[in-house]
Amino acid sequence: MDWKAIANEWWVWFSGGVTAVLGLYMAWYFLRTALRFMHTQGFTAEQTRAMIRGAAITAVGPVLANVFVMIALAVAISPAFAWQREGVGVGSVFTELAQASNAAIAAGEKFGDPSFTIKGFAAAVLIMNIAGWGWSVEAIFTRYLGKLREKVTGGDQALLAVIAGASMVAIFSYYSISNAMKSTPHLVTVVLAAGLSMFLFKLADWIKVPRLKEWALGIAMFVAMFIGKILAG
Amino acid sequence: MSAIHEIKVDPKAFDKDYLSPIHRVGTIFSTAIFFALFLPSIFLYLFHGVFPDWQTIVGGFALAMTYAVPFYFSEPIAYFPILGNAGWYLTGTVGNGSNLRVPCAAVAQEVAGVKEGTREGELVATIGVATSVLISIPAILLGALLINYIQQFFPPWLLDAFNKYLLPAVFGAVWGEFILRGWKYLPIAVILAYIPMALKIPAAWNIIICVLGTMIAGWAMLRYFKIKA
Repeated sequence: MDWKAIANEWWVWFSGGVTAVLGLYMAWYFLRTALRFMHTQGFTAEQTRAMIRGAAITAVGPVLANVFVMIALAVAISPAFAWQREGVGVGSVFTELAQASNAAIAAGEKFGDPSFTIKGFAAAVLIMNIAGWGWSVEAIFTRYLGKLREKVTGGDQALLAVIAGASMVAIFSYYSISNAMKSTPHLVTVVLAAGLSMFLFKLADWIKVPRLKEWALGIAMFVAMFIGKILAG
Repeated sequence: MSAIHEIKVDPKAFDKDYLSPIHRVGTIFSTAIFFALFLPSIFLYLFHGVFPDWQTIVGGFALAMTYAVPFYFSEPIAYFPILGNAGWYLTGTVGNGSNLRVPCAAVAQEVAGVKEGTREGELVATIGVATSVLISIPAILLGALLINYIQQFFPPWLLDAFNKYLLPAVFGAVWGEFILRGWKYLPIAVILAYIPMALKIPAAWNIIICVLGTMIAGWAMLRYFKIKA
């Protein structure tokens, strides 16, 4: 039987469904717990609704990109396997395909080659999922990450804020610069997105329209993406 | 009604009423997701009798880990401070940290006007990350089911725009937001991002150098010059 047909069987959809349901329940439970607690601490329903709206608007672009990326994986392997891998969106299509190639090499086959068999697919299924285990293990031990942070900072809220602020500027400096260096359209996209988001967040304060902040990242990323693509042709 | 920045949550209540249930459910469900990742291999063996031999598993595992292991270190160091406990349970299991979970947490914090790394920041981050998960998983399922329709509906030009330029745009936009909040860390962060890149140090180690270096610089600025975030 063709491995691509096997890769689209019901049990692959089901496996993706199991992880998705677990992820969805956890997200729903966390959201409910946070909201209930926040409302007892003085946050209003209007305030928390604005936070949800902001996150939802921001999610639109990246989620659409994930769906499009998944198409590439679905074409290369199968829609069911793309769902199993991307539903609890582990990696970019490049990472996923690189891991599939690694697994095929280990099985003595070549991914994407007509000679790729069910044995190669079995290796790909296991190895691509194994690669995600590390993060799951880290998630299981999250409570210790928190304790480690408390120990390192002594619970000092000012230092905790410094560490969080510095780490975020650092990681997005890295991602932005590494992407900007790929080509001129990439550079323009990164710089424009950064400039536009800074402007929109500031504008929201200047014109006293806090709701603009909910849209700032979404607008900045879409405008910069289209201008980058128009420049690239 | 208090402005959000004036709200200080009770630390004891935070531990008892928020953190405790989060850890209980987070630990159980992260463990369940860990085991669920075995399911496709188990089913493949049950229905088709195919399972990779040990040599393939060890070889494939070693190749996979050369790529993944450095990120096992760099991502919690970078993301945990802003995402907090609930955000990290979700990001560790559901993925998409840099391109989706952190931007959603960040925008929720910006809307709320709370500082990342604080208890209030953690609560708001939870809302941002959980909302993004509740949107992304159903959207991916819909995408997988309607894959042919999507390919017809969206022209190649648009798919190419998303595939190539959405990620740099997300990174740039979130970078801009964090520059506004932590501009004092920008020069050191840019230097520590660029130099290892120019020296062709692998990405995950480059991230560790950049993030840890900037954190230490931030600590020194607070400790010796009383410069707060």
